[in-house]
Amino acid sequence: MNSGPGSNKHIVQNIMLLRLHRLLLRVEQSLLVVILLTTIIFAVTQIFLRNFFHAGIPWGDSLVRILVLWLGLIGAMIASRNHRHIKIDIVSRHLSSTRQIWLRRFTDIITAGVCFIVAWHAFRFVLIEYQDGMRAFESVPVWLTEAIIPFGFLVMSIRFLLLAALPQKLQAD
Amino acid sequence: MLVTLIAVLLVLLAFAGTPLFVIITAAALLGFYFSGVDLSVISIEIYRITETPLLLALPLFTFAGYLLSESNTSKRLVALSRGVFGWLPAEMVAVTLFACALFTAFTGATGVTIVALGALLYPALKHVGYSDRFSLGLVTSAGSLGLLLPPSLPLILYVVVAQQLNLGEAISVTDAFVAGILPTLLMLFLLGIWSLWVTRKDVIPLTPFDRGEAWRALKDAKWELPLPIFVLGGIYGGLFAVSEAAAITALYVLIIEVFVYKEIRLRELPRITVEAMTVVGGILLILGVSLAFTNFLIDAQVPLKLFEWTQSQITSKYTFLALLNIILLVLGAFLDIFSALVIMVPLILPVAVGYGIHPIHLGIIFLANMQLGYLTPPVGINLFIASYRFNRPIDDIYHASMPFLLVLLVAVLIITYAPLLYY
Repeated sequence: MNSGPGSNKHIVQNIMLLRLHRLLLRVEQSLLVVILLTTIIFAVTQIFLRNFFHAGIPWGDSLVRILVLWLGLIGAMIASRNHRHIKIDIVSRHLSSTRQIWLRRFTDIITAGVCFIVAWHAFRFVLIEYQDGMRAFESVPVWLTEAIIPFGFLVMSIRFLLLAALPQKLQAD
Repeated sequence: MLVTLIAVLLVLLAFAGTPLFVIITAAALLGFYFSGVDLSVISIEIYRITETPLLLALPLFTFAGYLLSESNTSKRLVALSRGVFGWLPAEMVAVTLFACALFTAFTGATGVTIVALGALLYPALKHVGYSDRFSLGLVTSAGSLGLLLPPSLPLILYVVVAQQLNLGEAISVTDAFVAGILPTLLMLFLLGIWSLWVTRKDVIPLTPFDRGEAWRALKDAKWELPLPIFVLGGIYGGLFAVSEAAAITALYVLIIEVFVYKEIRLRELPRITVEAMTVVGGILLILGVSLAFTNFLIDAQVPLKLFEWTQSQITSKYTFLALLNIILLVLGAFLDIFSALVIMVPLILPVAVGYGIHPIHLGIIFLANMQLGYLTPPVGINLFIASYRFNRPIDDIYHASMPFLLVLLVAVLIITYAPLLYY
């Protein structure tokens, strides 16, 4: 049995990878929905408790503010799937489509590099916070709430690297 | 020398289409690296997003705005406006201006007004007898109104950025939103007058006021009518903070559009959430990294040096304001409003305060100038959205909206030089 490209084994592997990829995309999306709904419900509950019972969940406000950071970074991760980040787009419009693709590959690699540097230093930062063992609220450690920063930037870095490497027609996903 | 080289390189990269958050991050990384600061400071700065309760308003109002633009709110708003303004001679012009301003404010000025309302208003304007060019120009330029009305996100973001600068003078979102009312009315008024003048020879038949139809429009919109009350009453009346108004609005809109009007199906929610949060993520990321960049600038005393340099060159407040107008207009033609805010406000605000300009006034000037940027080539976003939406070449859109752009420019100049408008 050969296991080169086109063989059954290879195709099965590809399908498995594709399914894994789809699953991860769905997890990312579901996480976003859950976090957004949690944020809305917690924020409204706090207002309700404060105005009618002069009380509130002590850690509710901290949680909501941390969730905003998570929403932002997961949103930014998803924006990296297909070049949805805010940019100035005036040069590429005047280029031929081949040149456009190469220019974009170039800026994608730069983006991946910068994101990786941030991810690495953020990882170091989170590690220090882990050793410090501070708590954000209740039993939730600070490092856990910060972990989305290195993670988010790492994912963005990988996504931009893939965007630079993949043929243009596969980029829609 | 090295600094200039790096700056030029970064600007070139930005023009080449590198995401702006990357440009700002790279600038901050290089700055910190050369001043010997540990680069992990970047993540400390990004984490500061969690120290700003006001930012909760950003994802929640954006989400609410996307829900509104995905349902038939635009249709109900136009029907209701026709009911309200039905007795006026230039009814459709008033409807267009009013509906666009309100819808833009509620959808956070993220560019959905033309998409949602344009398809209703453009044919309606032509139907009652306005020329194609006038209709196209009015709809395109009206799509940028409402930027200074609550709960517009750019104004909230301005206050967030200004608060980071510790200028000694506390500024609140409420003050900013109060200050935004008169300038908005001025823009509406001037655009209205201009529209009447330019269409004075067109024969626009008066539509008889239909009481039944107005009543029906009111009944259709009854669930959405409380929305302005939440936001305006909440913010102006001091009932709750802006972020609280955002939470209540988001939950309320979610409930009425999904369960009462039933125009958004539950299984559509993940897609809408992703679309809204992609926009929010883009803005928050830029904000986070520019918090780091601003901190570097302050460490390096750049705002102070810029202030001293400007003071040595320009003595008059009015010369400074004129220069500011020009810089912001050019900037607005290239940068989107959110990036412009987080990059430029930390540099400009301290200088402006030195000339005795109130931070709130500067915010209004800044955003009013940026609003023109929505309509100026080469990157005016409304031009592109209109071109796409009405399937017309960008040049047509540009020529059609040019006179309106000039009228808005007059409004911006009045707003800049007549501080009487604010306090």
